[in-house]
Amino acid sequence: MALLELNKVKKVYQQGKIEVPALRGVDLEVEEGEFTTIFGPSGSGKTTLLNMIGCLDTPSEGEVKLNGDEVSKLSQTELAMVRRYNIGFIFQAYNLIPVLTAYENVEFAIRLIRHIKENEIREKTSNILEDVGLIGLENRRPNELSGGEKQRVAIARALVKEPKIVLADEPTANLDSETGAEVIKIMVKMNQKLGTTFIFSTHDPQIMKYAKRLLNLKDGMISGDERR
Amino acid sequence: MFAIKLGLRNLTRQKRRNMITAMVIAYAFFAYLLMDSLMNGMEEMSFENIRDLETGNIQIVHSDYWEEREELPLENLVYLDQDVEESLKNIDGLSGISPELRFVANLNNGIDELPVLGLGIDPDRYQEVFTTGEYLVDGSMFSLGENKGVLGEKTAQLMDLKINDYITLLVRTKEDTFNTIDVVIAGIVNTTHPMVNSGTVFVPLDIAQQALNVENSVSLIAIKVNPGYEESVTETLNQNFKRKDLNLNAYSWRESAETVIALSTAKKAGIGVILFVVLLIGIIGIINNVILSALERTEEIGMMKALGMKEMEIVSVFMVEATGIGIIGGLMGCLLGAIGVGLLTKYGFDLSYAGDMTNYGIPILNKIYGVWNFSAFYFLFILGIIVALFSSIIPALWAARKDPVKAIYHR
Repeated sequence: MALLELNKVKKVYQQGKIEVPALRGVDLEVEEGEFTTIFGPSGSGKTTLLNMIGCLDTPSEGEVKLNGDEVSKLSQTELAMVRRYNIGFIFQAYNLIPVLTAYENVEFAIRLIRHIKENEIREKTSNILEDVGLIGLENRRPNELSGGEKQRVAIARALVKEPKIVLADEPTANLDSETGAEVIKIMVKMNQKLGTTFIFSTHDPQIMKYAKRLLNLKDGMISGDERR
Repeated sequence: MFAIKLGLRNLTRQKRRNMITAMVIAYAFFAYLLMDSLMNGMEEMSFENIRDLETGNIQIVHSDYWEEREELPLENLVYLDQDVEESLKNIDGLSGISPELRFVANLNNGIDELPVLGLGIDPDRYQEVFTTGEYLVDGSMFSLGENKGVLGEKTAQLMDLKINDYITLLVRTKEDTFNTIDVVIAGIVNTTHPMVNSGTVFVPLDIAQQALNVENSVSLIAIKVNPGYEESVTETLNQNFKRKDLNLNAYSWRESAETVIALSTAKKAGIGVILFVVLLIGIIGIINNVILSALERTEEIGMMKALGMKEMEIVSVFMVEATGIGIIGGLMGCLLGAIGVGLLTKYGFDLSYAGDMTNYGIPILNKIYGVWNFSAFYFLFILGIIVALFSSIIPALWAARKDPVKAIYHR
């Protein structure tokens, strides 16, 4: 059974009286541990597809299954619980909380998971910060970190709760190519170490080369699916 | 717990705005506490003035006199016989008895005339009940049998009178014939009660009784009681009068001070309005703060939702922040209020700017002193926190219900 399954997923946005189709029937299966890139021109539906996979949005038609369970018909609260336990997010703009330190930003995500002991929270948070190379920077606030360091905090935040899938929407778009490559390398490392499934969108061909699977999205449909 | 930590940390964001909101709340609290202190001070002083300088704790009068007491009639007086004296004996908590003859008089200084309230008193017994003697600014109190009088400073100034001047009180006797009481001014008083200072002339009871031809009768008997005994003494007195078949009644000072009591009730309503305004200021401040914070943190709210935070968890972050502002504003307000009330209790508030307060029926002169009302501090502080907490819920819910996709991408 695939970890993630999308069947004929369509998404139509209403803009006034005009219906704008963002996804036109996407069929997709993603196995556990995959490192997948979605690429395509602007407006091709990459972000919409990531939102469907990440349970941030629900399809107008079709179904999304996570671990075999259909999630597209769940309520907002149920979707929040699915996201809390199963999905990690990495945003282009990092979206860190400025009043929390790097450590606290990461800790924040794991504290949402109930029934984790205090020492386990500390251990997991410290370990993941070490994995992404932030030892020594734990007590810095986001405004004291570089763009690459902020994105590493975001990666640690996404991974600390050990989700099944980590979704990243153009995670390197705000970074220079060198830093972007470093960030992707960390994602590759964590994919290999933890076996976490990564799905990220990008425009950057330099970044795409790290992907094991390339999904080409065009006009709201998958026009190419290449495995390496 | 993390929501509390994050909410408290968020207080350090937009420090200036948070401080302004807290200061607005603090100012509103401060104004309320000052007003409350002054109002309570005014009430306390008014009541003290009435009890200590006008009525005593209890007044014993003939049942038919009470309704007409404002007219100062010489009918239906209390005849001081053995039955009355016995009715007043051995009552637990009763500490002073002062018979008074109240009458209408015209004060004549040889040139001008002024209508005044004449008060025939037994000075020794009078001081058991009233504190007027403590306010003598010139001369001394008279004794029974002396043709001497005491008047208020304002009356003396108005009539250009001083110690040892002669005055004549023109009175009507019980039989409605004219008579005069000629006395030398023995003392001048300047009390905190405007009624005593202007328009009252004290003369010895026996002199007044003789001039008015009322024999051993008085208008009323003023009673002073120890604290907490007012009700029981009133009850015992009324029982004693009933047992002896005397047509007398004991009335609390509250019944003589209906106007002031009514003002006091109005004061409570006024304080309620002020409280409402104070809370409204707090509510508007908090709502404004939460809305602005939510607008500024739209992407952050989106991230929280993406991480799986439920609406109520996000709401709780904003609620903690709003409550924090409420607590800071409340503490500042209470601190400022304490300083203000402290100054008011020590130095008072000069009422002369507002004119003669007797025109408004308030028996106070010159200055009102504030009083400490600690319950107002607790009440306001706790109410402020509760209001801050609850007024943040709706804007916080509005923020937490944002579509996560729109919030993340700030669409």
